[in-house]
Amino acid sequence: MRRSPALLILIAAAASAQPTVAPSPGSVGTVRGKDSGGYNFTNSFEAGARGLSTSGNELRYRSDVNFRSGVRLFGSRLAIHSKEGHGKWFDEISLSTQGLGNDPYQFSSLRVQHNRWYRYDMLWRINDYVNPGLTGGLLPGHVLNTRRQWQDHDFVFLPGAPIKFLAGYSRNSQDGPALSTGQFFDSRGDEFAHFGNIGRRQSEYRAGFEANAAGFKLIVLRGWQRYNEDTATGLSQASPGANPNDRTTLTSLRITEPYEGDTPFWRVNLLNEKKSWYAVNARFSYAGGKRNFLFDETALGTDRLGNNRNRQIVIAGDARRPLTTGGLTFSLFPTQKLILTNHASFHQIRMSGDSSYREVNNGSLLSGIFRFNTLSVRTFTNSSDASYRAARWLSAFAGFRISSRRTQSIEGERFGADIEQFRYSQSNRLNAGTFGVRLTPMRPLSVVLDTEIGRQDRPFLPTSQKDYHIAGGRVQYKAKSVTVSAASRANYNFNSGSLFTHSSRNRSQSVDVSWAGKSGLSADAGYNHLHADALTGLAYFASFNLITGDQSVYVSNIHSIFGHVNFSIAKRADLTFGWTRAQDTGDGRSRATAVSTSRPGTALPILQSVQTYPMLYQSPLARVSVRLHSRVRWNGGYQYYHFSEDFGVPAGGPTASQGYNAHTLYTSILWSF
Amino acid sequence: MTRVLAWSLTLALSAVAAAQQNQAPKDGYVGGNVCRTCHPDVVLNFYRNAHYKSVASGKEPPERTGCEGCHGPGKGHVDARGGRTTIPRAFSLMSPARVLDTCLACHSKDLSRSEIRRSPHTQSEVVCSTCHSIHKPQTPKLLLAKAQKDLCYGCHNNVRSQFAMPFKHRVNEGAIQCTDCHNPHGAPATSWRTGIHPRMVATSADGEQPCLRCHTDKRGPFAFEHPALRVDGCESCHSPHGSTNPRMLKRPVVMTLCLECHNGTGSFGRQGDGVTIQSSSHNVADPRYQNCTACHIRIHGSNSDQRFLR
Repeated sequence: MRRSPALLILIAAAASAQPTVAPSPGSVGTVRGKDSGGYNFTNSFEAGARGLSTSGNELRYRSDVNFRSGVRLFGSRLAIHSKEGHGKWFDEISLSTQGLGNDPYQFSSLRVQHNRWYRYDMLWRINDYVNPGLTGGLLPGHVLNTRRQWQDHDFVFLPGAPIKFLAGYSRNSQDGPALSTGQFFDSRGDEFAHFGNIGRRQSEYRAGFEANAAGFKLIVLRGWQRYNEDTATGLSQASPGANPNDRTTLTSLRITEPYEGDTPFWRVNLLNEKKSWYAVNARFSYAGGKRNFLFDETALGTDRLGNNRNRQIVIAGDARRPLTTGGLTFSLFPTQKLILTNHASFHQIRMSGDSSYREVNNGSLLSGIFRFNTLSVRTFTNSSDASYRAARWLSAFAGFRISSRRTQSIEGERFGADIEQFRYSQSNRLNAGTFGVRLTPMRPLSVVLDTEIGRQDRPFLPTSQKDYHIAGGRVQYKAKSVTVSAASRANYNFNSGSLFTHSSRNRSQSVDVSWAGKSGLSADAGYNHLHADALTGLAYFASFNLITGDQSVYVSNIHSIFGHVNFSIAKRADLTFGWTRAQDTGDGRSRATAVSTSRPGTALPILQSVQTYPMLYQSPLARVSVRLHSRVRWNGGYQYYHFSEDFGVPAGGPTASQGYNAHTLYTSILWSF
Repeated sequence: MTRVLAWSLTLALSAVAAAQQNQAPKDGYVGGNVCRTCHPDVVLNFYRNAHYKSVASGKEPPERTGCEGCHGPGKGHVDARGGRTTIPRAFSLMSPARVLDTCLACHSKDLSRSEIRRSPHTQSEVVCSTCHSIHKPQTPKLLLAKAQKDLCYGCHNNVRSQFAMPFKHRVNEGAIQCTDCHNPHGAPATSWRTGIHPRMVATSADGEQPCLRCHTDKRGPFAFEHPALRVDGCESCHSPHGSTNPRMLKRPVVMTLCLECHNGTGSFGRQGDGVTIQSSSHNVADPRYQNCTACHIRIHGSNSDQRFLR
């Protein structure tokens, strides 16, 4: 009894986790394809339609999921291969696509190559991104409804020759409407939402070569990046602002802020692979970066005192950011069992910029300020590792890393003839050690344990890692049809001798089981618990009083489970059922109510309401795939998305009621030839 | 009787193949035509495999050509009439180190694999054949045994659950892949940040942290940079895999995220005497001051204002 190769691939693919119901896993046709003109062709495509019904917060659904109704090409795959490997123009064309036409996540991948002369790779992607501005308080926050597109083209001439030439082009763009916010006409004025049309583009051109000689490879790449952003912002209608008690109004607003520049870069690598006893990898890169900008804002309205305002602000300047990196990795292989490696690297980045500020207020020039600013970060890192395989069942590795970082900055301002500038410099040193063992007590069973302990003497932020340690372990039993794995990881950081400054604890435990039986039955399931808690000192003003001694508390307990089962009926139909569920139980509260004063934290209600964020996000799915013909399958599926939270962040704010229910259906025909 | 006939045929084909090449089998190499006798499915479809180049070129020595290029000379296997243990290099029986040595005999000089022998994967004995399937790949281009995310999830169970959060990078949806940020073959020691050693995170071609390869608008340079982003990286505020919080932030609202650093304590920050505390005009009890980015809208860096107000 011979099973169709296509069916085998379908079953194998379905056995893995498949969080989205469509496209259907498995998209290849019969393995042998069609022969013509010295080439072999295989092709398959899956076309169909999605249906959608939502209730609740649709903007939030679009942020999380974003599948919409309509017809689309769910997936396709075309492969053309020369039978003898001596095609005239090409030896291989491989094209695969997903979601073309209507899905929010689309990609297309193309490879065309001739075994002797060239290789061309293309990757093109689209991501429709909706941000509902959930972090906002009284205002809607920064709402985005944009489309990001990436494309990468890489061409290699003479891919198998000792010297090969490289060329490439990449483009990254983001376009679409957005809402932003701003404060007018002074630092105590009201906040206003305004509309913008985002337009950002980056193009990168690169060229270089790879040369082999004397056992070494030299890779030189020269690149040029061009970035420009031209987001125009305005007000659709007169606005009273977000705060009804504030007299500030805005009747007209126009902001243009063109921003553009180039980043030329070099990258040079010199490397060899393991010779008899050593290997070397040296690398260097330099990227210059310069941007020019202009900010032009014209705002009409009344200020918080009720005076008419006609204000124009013009800011112009430029910013520079050279980045230099280098590194040398040297490995020794004194025996078959021992590998000694030393990495030495540096990273230096220096950002500097200046801007000239002009403000014309009700027809008179009120100020002319020139500001300049520099931030440079230089880091040296040396890392030494040893890896030793003591026996077939035991290997160990250990390492020690030292990083030295110096941060320097200048902040300055010139106002008329007066110049003020402040220089700061500080240094930080990290010492970190790693250790791990791998045990294979019996062939299907493996155990990996690892730990890292680090100390920084002067981290940059209160929440940076200072005294941290990580410990993790993974056990895996992998037999022919069953894989069972369990993992645990803990990451603790104490950023002070006193807990007041910052401490955080993250732990995760997970267990997964995967089973593939005969006759097409397979199942996998897993559970993961992610715990995070953090305690950080706060200092803030409330009603003009400086509050110190409060603490920011954050507690998260996420229980995540998934399960999938796949089986075949009479070798004609494949069925898949799956379920994923992520629930954060938080600190035990179901509502953002006040907490007991005996608990650490703060008495301020707003800060209490954001100490935790319980929520539930789950998505069951079902899919059926029926073989109608040796080359045609019909697929249909249903996936339900549910999000709920009763907390509201912040409590009582407009971002509450984020819950939604979404029913998605799809039907498609998969045709292979 | 049938087996005798089959192996007689095998030996005959072996002789014919050798005669066709006008040379005797060298050091036990018998050529791919002999393999085809018993493994027709593999050999007949091998022209679709990237490794077929070694056969097509016709210039490679036997030890770098076709089946025997990877599996070693086949004479012993033929003489023994099959069996995995008679294959000089049967990958399912080889030690991880030997698998690595075998594959790197040809694949060593790619830049992306330049750190493979020192990578955490190699240290954990995750080697080429753990992820790649030469004869039964699901992704023809890279010869992966499964879809990339499923391969990674197979060991990194905790990461799978992070991508099941409501806010996440779209890995499960196919928009991006693990290798957009990570190099599973290993990466040099990271120097763009200090602290916990990032796991095989690949920098961009110009040495930037990987987030900036896609999020080009956050890259700058800006006249006024937010030092937190430049010194400690994007992970100061964001959880890159996924989060229950909007924008994959580490906290449910921006305000606590900001206040946890801007608390003026210790020797932190640009000035070395604590990160600047907020202005006394900001009354946190008043809702209008509870969303920092409502006014500080250019929080990743600004050209127009040192407080990121425009």
